[in-house]
Amino acid sequence: MEIIKVPKRLSIVPEYSAFSDTFRQGLAAGKFMTTTCSSCGNMTFPPKQHCSDCWSAEMEWTELSGNGILYARTTIHAAATQFHGEVPFSVGIVDLEEGVRLVTGLLDDPVRINNDAAIRLVILSYEDGLLFAARPA
Amino acid sequence: MNNDRKPVVISYAASKVGKLDQTRFEHEILADVVIDAVGTAGLDKTDIGSAVFTAPTPATRQRAFATFMASRLGLHCQGQIAEVSNLGITGGLAFEQACADVAGGRARVALALGIEYSSAVDAATMMEQGIRAAGDVNFQTPFGLTPIAWYALDADRYLYETGTTRRDLAAIAVKNRQHAMLNPLAQFQTPLTVADVLEQPTIVEPLGRYDVPARSDGAICLVVTSEVVARGLGKPFLRVLGRGFSHDGRHQVGSSPHDITDFPAARQATATALEDAAVSLEQVDVAELYAPCTITEALVVEAIGLAEKGRGALAAGAGETAIGGRIPVCTSGGCLSRGHPPGLTALYGIAELFDQLLHRAGKRQVAGAGLGLHLCELGNYNAALAHVMDAGN
Ligand SMILES: [Zn+2]
Repeated sequence: MEIIKVPKRLSIVPEYSAFSDTFRQGLAAGKFMTTTCSSCGNMTFPPKQHCSDCWSAEMEWTELSGNGILYARTTIHAAATQFHGEVPFSVGIVDLEEGVRLVTGLLDDPVRINNDAAIRLVILSYEDGLLFAARPA
Repeated sequence: MNNDRKPVVISYAASKVGKLDQTRFEHEILADVVIDAVGTAGLDKTDIGSAVFTAPTPATRQRAFATFMASRLGLHCQGQIAEVSNLGITGGLAFEQACADVAGGRARVALALGIEYSSAVDAATMMEQGIRAAGDVNFQTPFGLTPIAWYALDADRYLYETGTTRRDLAAIAVKNRQHAMLNPLAQFQTPLTVADVLEQPTIVEPLGRYDVPARSDGAICLVVTSEVVARGLGKPFLRVLGRGFSHDGRHQVGSSPHDITDFPAARQATATALEDAAVSLEQVDVAELYAPCTITEALVVEAIGLAEKGRGALAAGAGETAIGGRIPVCTSGGCLSRGHPPGLTALYGIAELFDQLLHRAGKRQVAGAGLGLHLCELGNYNAALAHVMDAGN
């Protein structure tokens, strides 16, 4: 997965547990990872230590393609203090082809991504951490 | 339940929603409201066995507010003193906990009350906390979604799928303003047109300033007692006929695709409450909803069956959900115009049903209102709490 360098600091730096740090390590290596339940097959995002469907702790890390469609979007003009330097910025709900739904930022300037349009996830490497975003496929 | 202990609302008192007097402390304002409410009921402070407070906002300087307030009011309680909280259903939970103490015989009289006094804190600062509630703090919050941004996502998908327009949504704001203009407790009472709504700056696309709630302070106290005590006092009362709660196991978005415009928790909680009350939705005369945004009212009226799918906003434009219409919704003016102190909104909503069902709502009275539905819910944050109510005397 493409890693794009962003020459600034994150508005909020995500935190990881000992368990979910595998996700961060994946991003650093250019992979978008999540967990699948070995017991019932449920694949979820964010990655989980226990399956929320069957409560099994037998979870396997899986790499996702990063391909999907945009389900819904908004552009935020009134933001919390931490994001004042970013407004306006766009976020959306994305459905990946593996059947996983997630929320992410949108890189859609100058080309606006419309609902049901194909997207591709990219990894954003900030000065102080990693994040991901969707851009037109 | 012991029939002698069926809980009812015997009275309430509330401040006008808006900006509270900044020269007074929170506990001073709330004390006035409590003394007014208890006095109106014809009760005395020694009757009070429980006081269930909505948890104060982070803007409140005085922490441990409930027990502090009990000392200010000199309450000696054997039921409980507590602060309860869960976003939009906070007021509903305070109400239920007060009812449960009366029903369980732990209190002869129980108060459901609270104050929100946060207008002195700016919106961006409030949202520093809000973004941590509105989604997974590690996997969603870093993208900067504000609480209202989640409703904007609902709106975006809804407009896309149904062909509803921003203009159609604006009709909800206009309808609720017309209601608020008749409500002495309402924050916003100047006339509002669809054009006014549409020309506001965008807050979170596609929602503009009048599609989303303003900042509001409020203070309210509901007095709950048993039907037997109420009859002894010789005053009419508001009765709970049915109750329903639902959470469908998601917080904002699930792990796999689902329809974010569907609000299944709201639908289930309402169905459960109607079944509990042994009535049908068609028998409901007035519905007071927790609907912070125009889009929320559209989605909730569809979810619970007051409008067909895709007609939630159009129903407001056609006057169906206005006072005098097929099923009046948010006769108080709702979150957008009555005002929205979030933790208290459900208590103000129940107070509105008190006025409507006891036929003391003045110019905004729904003619012949006999059965009311109150629903507080969290949209896709999830959790919904419904009450079906009527009046007794
Ligand atoms: Zn499982």
